[in-house]
Amino acid sequence: MGTYIQNVVVFTFVMGSIYLLLALGFSLICGVLRIFHLGYAYIFPLTVYGTWMFMSALGWPLIPSILGMIAVQFIVSIIIYKGMIKKYMATEDVLLTALLLVALIVEQAANYFYPIQTGVYLETTLASGTYQFGDAVVPKQLIIGSLIALAMTGAFVFFFVKTKTGMAIRALSQDIYSSKIVGINVETLYMFTMMIVLLPVIIGTLITAPVWSVEPAMGWMYMVTAILVAVLGGLGNIKGTIIASFLIGFTHAIVCFVFGEPRFMNLSALILVMIILVIRPQGLARSESLW
Amino acid sequence: MAPLVKVSNLVKRFGGIIAVNDVSFEIHKGETLGFIGPNGAGKSTVVNCLTGYLPATSGTIEMNGVDITRMKPHQRAHMGLARTYQIPRPFPELTALTSVLASSIAGKKRINQSFEDAMYDATHYLEFVGLFSKRNILARDLTFYELRMLELARALATTPQLLFIDEVMAGLNPGEAKNAIKMIRRAKEQFGVTVFWIEHVMAVLMEAADRIVAINYGSKLAEGTPDEVVNNDDVIEAYLGRGWREYA
Amino acid sequence: MVEMELKRDRIVIRLGTKKWEWTLEPRYWRNTLLWAAFLMIAPAVAYFVSPGLINTMISANIYAAIAMPLALMTIGTGRMNFGPQFYIGVGGYTAALLSIAYGWGPLTTLPFAILMSMIAALIFSPLVIMARGLYYVLLTLLLPLVFLEVTFIYTDIFKGDTGLFGIVPLLDTGNAKNNFLIIGYLSTVIMYAYLWIINKILKSRYGLLMAAINDDEDVAHSIGININKIKIIAFVAAATLIGIIGWFYAHYFSSFAGITYLPLTFMLKVLLVLMIGGRAQVFGCVVGGYFVAFLEMLMIRFMGPIQPLLFPIILLILLFILPEGLFGLYRKRRYREYLPTIHVRR
Repeated sequence: MGTYIQNVVVFTFVMGSIYLLLALGFSLICGVLRIFHLGYAYIFPLTVYGTWMFMSALGWPLIPSILGMIAVQFIVSIIIYKGMIKKYMATEDVLLTALLLVALIVEQAANYFYPIQTGVYLETTLASGTYQFGDAVVPKQLIIGSLIALAMTGAFVFFFVKTKTGMAIRALSQDIYSSKIVGINVETLYMFTMMIVLLPVIIGTLITAPVWSVEPAMGWMYMVTAILVAVLGGLGNIKGTIIASFLIGFTHAIVCFVFGEPRFMNLSALILVMIILVIRPQGLARSESLW
Repeated sequence: MAPLVKVSNLVKRFGGIIAVNDVSFEIHKGETLGFIGPNGAGKSTVVNCLTGYLPATSGTIEMNGVDITRMKPHQRAHMGLARTYQIPRPFPELTALTSVLASSIAGKKRINQSFEDAMYDATHYLEFVGLFSKRNILARDLTFYELRMLELARALATTPQLLFIDEVMAGLNPGEAKNAIKMIRRAKEQFGVTVFWIEHVMAVLMEAADRIVAINYGSKLAEGTPDEVVNNDDVIEAYLGRGWREYA
Repeated sequence: MVEMELKRDRIVIRLGTKKWEWTLEPRYWRNTLLWAAFLMIAPAVAYFVSPGLINTMISANIYAAIAMPLALMTIGTGRMNFGPQFYIGVGGYTAALLSIAYGWGPLTTLPFAILMSMIAALIFSPLVIMARGLYYVLLTLLLPLVFLEVTFIYTDIFKGDTGLFGIVPLLDTGNAKNNFLIIGYLSTVIMYAYLWIINKILKSRYGLLMAAINDDEDVAHSIGININKIKIIAFVAAATLIGIIGWFYAHYFSSFAGITYLPLTFMLKVLLVLMIGGRAQVFGCVVGGYFVAFLEMLMIRFMGPIQPLLFPIILLILLFILPEGLFGLYRKRRYREYLPTIHVRR
């Protein structure tokens, strides 16, 4: 019994924080830009394979490669915003299909240039080995990841609550027309949001890449979890996303350790989300705004 | 004689706000019942509860003796309730003809009516409101007055017994307003509908209405003939403020 | 008692108190009949020229036959379903499992595939009523992925890793080329049946009610349309039609693996058939299906391994430069009737 509780608590904490990192971007884009970024899945393979490309093709060491990849990600997100989102905001079905296509194109590009056989591996391990909390064994990498996740989320909350730009973005998420009247530059803030939400996702992917598998199709599974967390928490609400990520971490933990069936993790999370959506269709969040 | 619609103790709450507070009245067959009140009094909420757009928190609504409080909007339409909207809500991607056609098909259970028969039926209603020449124009390309007339045609095509008219004068210039009043009177005469008319412009209701119900802050203030209601102290106070006597 | 009257230009069908009229306008039939004749002759011609083309034709017909019920579902429910391949999985796995377990032929597994698709659609039909806009998109997007996971979890039943083999084939005349020819005609017949049924529905009073629901649900509800009934019926009917295509795939290839149909690659192909062909225009789905199938075939033949990368890029470019779709280019010159469009609601 004690083993169960220890495992569940530790697993919930660690995995919940990492899910939070991954889902925060999706939730924020949805809340601020009011679109579904169905192409979110492209960020994950682009992180890993972009860094690998700088390292292997240009021979750069790890840190400059990561910076180069971040620059590429910023440019790609700006292109996506200007090329697709701005033009097709009105016709949502075209926009969603186009975003999905982008994710598919990135996955296929990764598969073409670096198929699974080439053995892409990122040495982003900050701490190797495992740590033991009583009966629970956790990779140290993930513990550090979860601490970084909480720190970043705290930074984001501070940014949105205390800074002027953050407040402008919050205003933007509630009413576009009023924001324009007050003098907020909608375009710049949209682009800024799209770029800034990349940071937690990139860091999350870099941390989990050595622990979990790296393959061209990795984006979809990460995205499924991100979507479930964001929908459960109420799209665009940070408080809700935080609660939802730990809730889904908890579900995964219970299914893994108490029922002993790790294969059912995603399915159980989906069932949980559907049940809660029946009871409360707008998700767990109390309000419609960012915080 | 049983009333056409009997509203008893209607209450509608939105969280902590009581929008409609224990309102009761009757609508008799064939009359024009006016519904007045200052802005925010809860007039549209009452209509929304009566037509089924919002579920009432408590109270009963009876139509022809049948309790319709829990009925869905389409069932109420089949029973004979139709409404127009304060801000016209046409079907933006449908033409005028197809909008009224949808009403004609769905309004009641029709017998022996095919799609083409319904189309002829719909043209009659369009002709009645004067939109026959605009029948193939998309609803979003019509002018404001034409949109209001389209709303009226669409409501009439369901062959209602009771027609809710929600502030039809708003946004019309005097010529159009006169036409609109004439149209509603002709609709009453030709189709035999009972009219429940929410309106701000008192002059219209003084002539057109048989009885008037006045509400403020969700509660009923007065009910009676137009003269009675207009001279009622509570009603005047609601519109002019509490110290009106000093300045009258 | 069904009565039929024949007047000079219409057929009137009466059933009880309901009445349907079918106005016959032969002047509009010319183009459709020409294309029908062309598509009927094409497999025979391809049989002698290059039998591989029949394969592409079958793919094209089937893509169209998936896109058309998807259009019906979108118009009927007012929401865009981003996971129609879920029902291909349902229909296909039903047919595959029954055929492998009991050795049943295609005709026997067909009713069961239809039944299971209907049941699956009914189970998920509350989604159509309760979930709006983006939530609906997300949940329908996730369903096939979760189904795929289930096939991997219960791999002893579903054989998620390898796929199910040994399904009774659609028909066997002994000669592979003749098989292709007959199945080619069968797929054309299926595609035409879907085209005819769905076109008739969309042009009838039910199509109009669906268009009204699409435009403004609350107003449609208040003028007497039973929106929940129409949405659920459209959803279940479209899902069943898609499930039948799953059955077809299972028996045509004699094998069925969820990994081929359930992930997003396949869904995007079908979605793009819908979008490129002409959004929510039924004839456009046929055009889109043929275009996508032949484009894929040509690219595989001439470009080799880079095809999976270039194919979505080309589709993306086409999506942007053809806002009306391919069929929209044709219709702009001959505007005939009104068809509702897709809205995805917030």
